This record gives sequence, structure tokens and C-alpha cells, in this order.
Amino acid sequence: MKHEGLEFFSALPDAPLAMPTQMLERRRKPLFGRLRAMLAALPRLSA
Amino acid sequence: MLRPIFIRTATLLLAALASAGGGWLYFRLIGADAPVWLDSGRAVLFCLTVFWLVWGGTTGMLGALSPARKPDARPITRPVGLTSILVPIYNEDPAATFSRIAAMNRSLLALDIADRFHFAILSDSSSLEVAAQEAAWFEQLVHEPMLEGRVFYRRRERNIGKKAGNIEDFISHSGGAYDYALILDADSLMEGETIARMALRMDADAELGLLQTVPEVIRAETLFGRLMAFSSAYLSPYFARGQALMQGREGPYWGHNAIVRMRAFAASCGLPVLSGRPPYGGHILSHDYVEAALLARAGWKVEVDPTLGGSFEEGPENLIEYAKRDRRWCQGNLQHRRLIGAPGLKLWSRFTFVQGIMAYVASPLWLLLLISGLIAAAIPDPRGAGPDNAIWVLALAVAVALLLPKAMILLRGMLDGRNRAFGGTPRVAVGVLGEIALSTLLAPIMLCFQSRAVFEILFGLDGGWPATRRDETHVEFGTAFAASWWIVLIGAATLAVAIAFAPGLVPWLLPVTAPAIAAPVLIGLTSLSPKSHWLFGTAVKRQPPAVMELQRQIHASWTSEGLGVAEAGAEAGHVLA
Repeated sequence: MKHEGLEFFSALPDAPLAMPTQMLERRRKPLFGRLRAMLAALPRLSA
Repeated sequence: MLRPIFIRTATLLLAALASAGGGWLYFRLIGADAPVWLDSGRAVLFCLTVFWLVWGGTTGMLGALSPARKPDARPITRPVGLTSILVPIYNEDPAATFSRIAAMNRSLLALDIADRFHFAILSDSSSLEVAAQEAAWFEQLVHEPMLEGRVFYRRRERNIGKKAGNIEDFISHSGGAYDYALILDADSLMEGETIARMALRMDADAELGLLQTVPEVIRAETLFGRLMAFSSAYLSPYFARGQALMQGREGPYWGHNAIVRMRAFAASCGLPVLSGRPPYGGHILSHDYVEAALLARAGWKVEVDPTLGGSFEEGPENLIEYAKRDRRWCQGNLQHRRLIGAPGLKLWSRFTFVQGIMAYVASPLWLLLLISGLIAAAIPDPRGAGPDNAIWVLALAVAVALLLPKAMILLRGMLDGRNRAFGGTPRVAVGVLGEIALSTLLAPIMLCFQSRAVFEILFGLDGGWPATRRDETHVEFGTAFAASWWIVLIGAATLAVAIAFAPGLVPWLLPVTAPAIAAPVLIGLTSLSPKSHWLFGTAVKRQPPAVMELQRQIHASWTSEGLGVAEAGAEAGHVLA
């Protein structure tokens, strides 16, 4: 039998479908990296 | 129709107020005789444990009070989408499983829509003998009417990711050929009409990502099995209805007897391997709850429909098999603590994880409440007043939370005529009373099994995935004692301590300690199969569904004619080994 152009025989149909891995755990930056990011975000004092 | 968010908020507030109010009263009554830290601890434990009881009870009451949705009675039309019916198996009895597939196929053929449904048997069987039998019985199955070209068998040699990995493997190789996937277990059985209606619902609602039925337990023969079957048939639909009112678009997925939109599932539900080692790291065990949360995160509707009948499964027939399965679920649920804070999840999905965790953590909390009560009772009260009032409050809270929803369900069934399908209101009332009595007797044993499971997991012991033996029924006394001698010891020790230090508590402790001491006897007795089916009768028992009778006939004809098939399978197994 056919469905949307695919022929079905006895083996499983060859019709790959991507199943990307989902993100479930937050990636934590190391503490030093977070401190640097915080310092970089502070406004610079004008000279 | 009230919005789910309003219903959720109102129900949570009600449960919180009831348990906080009860906890305040309890704290006032437990007196000033014991150190404040002990009283405060007991009151907190009271609030936590009673909250989940009240929450569960409120769900049942909500379901009993809500208007019944009429089952869909429209004529079955030809679904537009093509559905693959996935049957993941792992060292099961192939004749039984494949005869279920044959019965479902014939049920679909009768509706003249069978060509819109394919079957994919996805084997992860590790036993070469079983694998050989599967191959042999598959040869029997393909000769079923019109199944050629519509039924496929694939066996993986490596069980990567267990059931979730098995399904992911299918999707990544063949998912593109199908619009929907109906995911079953090896013991699942569904009427063709139900399967068709589920596919038609997916056709009709482009936002629906997953539709879950409420499976009914069938073929239960032992007293324990029939208790589970009665509960799933008579009580569960109301609890599911109450849950559905609260869940809205973020409904549950229980891993089987549910249909998913293939592309939605593929795009949203690729599960990661969690960092760290089991029991918290590694592959996600209870993948179904996570997949439901991921579908909701991606904006898809996840719904449960208690009105969809014709969906069946088989359950454990004794308390030991139930406890083994529960151990696996406990580990899976506790693992979800890593996911409560996962990015992007809906608030209700996070609450569902917490709910699943508390379903198991509540057991050791009850144990702690019991132990702290014993300690407090052992400390003399200078006022001369005993702890009786506080215990009355606790007993009343538990009784109301457990009994009121079931009484309401019984009354609802009497008013809307549902009780007739179960043999009439008097018979159902006896069934409900029997369910309450037997559940109360078995609760201390389950409390001990669950507490042990939680402690094992907290100490980092990986219980793994014990195979479920669906054919195990009667439990001999020796086996029951081997599984529960430590429960006997806990029950006896608790009673001895109470007699020695807090004799006033003994009558209150007997409902917990007596069943614990009698655990091996109770496990054995409830694994017997009474000849009479009067108690815990269900509609399915009174009038078995057509697909169940079909499966029985097919299986009987295969096994009476197919002895050569089984032997050939066994021989092939020896050659392969």
C-alpha cells in the first residue's frame, strides 16, 4: 500500500524524522565566569 | 466552563486552608508537655501529609460534582491521518501480545478503516529464546486478515534508553511515514472504535499534541487484582475528570493507551541523558510525565478524556508485583526533582512533578508523624490530659479526605444511573466499602514498601528496571514472608514500644500495626482468586468487550493449533544461543 508516496512492505518504512534532544538542565556558568559577567555589566564611571 | 487556572487556584487554596487549619488545631491540641520543636515538627508533618490527602480527595469531589461530558457517538469516518500503533515489548509472552494486536486489527477491519492503521512491534527483548519465539509468532500474525504490509517487527539488540529510547529509535527511522502514533504497552488492548475516534480527534484539532485515555484494568482474577480493577473502573474516571478540569491544556501522559502527533512528539520530546549517575542521573525512567511537559512547553495541547471507553490494560495480581512496579515508578518520580526547575516548563507541569514526588515522599512523612507521635506520647503530660483530641483531629482529617469523595461518587452514580452498569447501587456500595476496607488494611504494608523505596533512592541505590511478571498470581506464604518479614518486625516493634511507653496510643496504632504484623498473611490471602465475582464486579466483567473476547478466541486458536510455532521458536532459540 502507499501513503504520501511511500511504499510499505514487510520491513519498517524508511522515513527518518529528526528527534532533537531537548534541554532540561540549566547550564551553570562557573562562579568566576558569573562574577566577570556581572562586573562587565556594571556602568563605567566617566573620567 | 470555568477556566482551569481558576479551578486549580481554588482547589489548591482549599487544600492549603484545610490542612493549615487542621495543622493549627492539631498544634493547639498536642499540648505543651513535649518540647516545642517536637510539637512544631509534628504539626508541620501533619500539614504536609494531610495536604496531599485533601488535595487528592478534592480532585475526586471535583470529578463527582462536574457535569458529565457525553461520549462521542458520531458515526466513525475514515481518518485522514495515517497512524502507527506502536507496541514496545521486553521479554513478554509473544503469543499473548501478538493475539492482542490481531484482535485490534480485526476490530479495525470491522469498521472498514484498517488501512489507516499500521502496527509496529518494537522488541527490546534480551532473551534470545523469547526473541526466537517472537519471530516465530510474528509469522503467525502476518497471516491475519489484511495485515501484510501493515504490521512490522523490529528487534533492537541494545536496549538504549529503555522504552523511551525504543520509541525514539522507531521515530528517527520511520516516524516520517506517519501522522500519528498510538503508543501501547504489551498488555494494552483497545477497541477499534476507540482507536478510530482518537485518530479522528487528532484530525479535527490541529493543536492537539497528545490524547490520553483512562485505561481500565481487565482480566484480574485475584482479590488484589480485582480491587485494582474495581478502583480503576469505578473510581478512577471521576478522579481523572477532576484532574482534567484543573489540567486544561497541560494534561497527563501515562506512557500507553495514548495517541500523539508524530511531528510534534519528534520535535519536542527528544529526551536527554541527565548528568550524573543513577538514581538521579542517567536515562529518564518515568519519561511519560516529562514528554507531556515538553509537549506543553512547545505549545501543544495535552488532554485526557475519561469518556473514551474501550481502552484496557492488565495489572499486577498481587501486592509484591505491585510493589516492584511501584519501586520503578518511585525512582522515576524522584528523578523528576532534577526537572522541576527545567527551563520553559509550564507552572502546572512543574506542579505535576512535585505531585508525583510527594505521592511517594508522603509515605516516609507519615512514618515520621507516627514515630514523633510515639515519642511525644512517651513524654508525661503535666496537665494530665492525654493526646486523644489531637488524634481525633488526625483521624477525622484522614477519614474525611478518604471517604467523602468516594461517598460522593457513589451518590453521583446512583443519581445518573452509572451504578446500574456495575450491578446496581447496593452491590456497588458493598464494592466501595470493600475497597475502603481492603485499601485500609493494605495501606500500612504499602507505606513500608514505599518508604523503603524512597530511603533506598535517597541513599543512591539504583533499583533499575525489574521485569514485570504479568503471569504471576498466587503468592505462597514463604515468598510473602521473604518479601515482608521486615514489615512484620516494624509493626511488632512499634506495638511493643507503644505498650511499654504510651499504652493510651495502642488502640489508635492497631489499624497500622496489626496489618503490618500480618503482612505475609495479607499478601498471600489477597493473591488468592475467589470463585465468586460478586465483590468488585465491573461493567467489563459483567459484559466483556468485543475486542477482549476476540483476543481470547484468537489466542486459544493459536495456542491449540500453534504448538509447532512455539516449539519452532524454542528450537531456533537454542540454535541462536
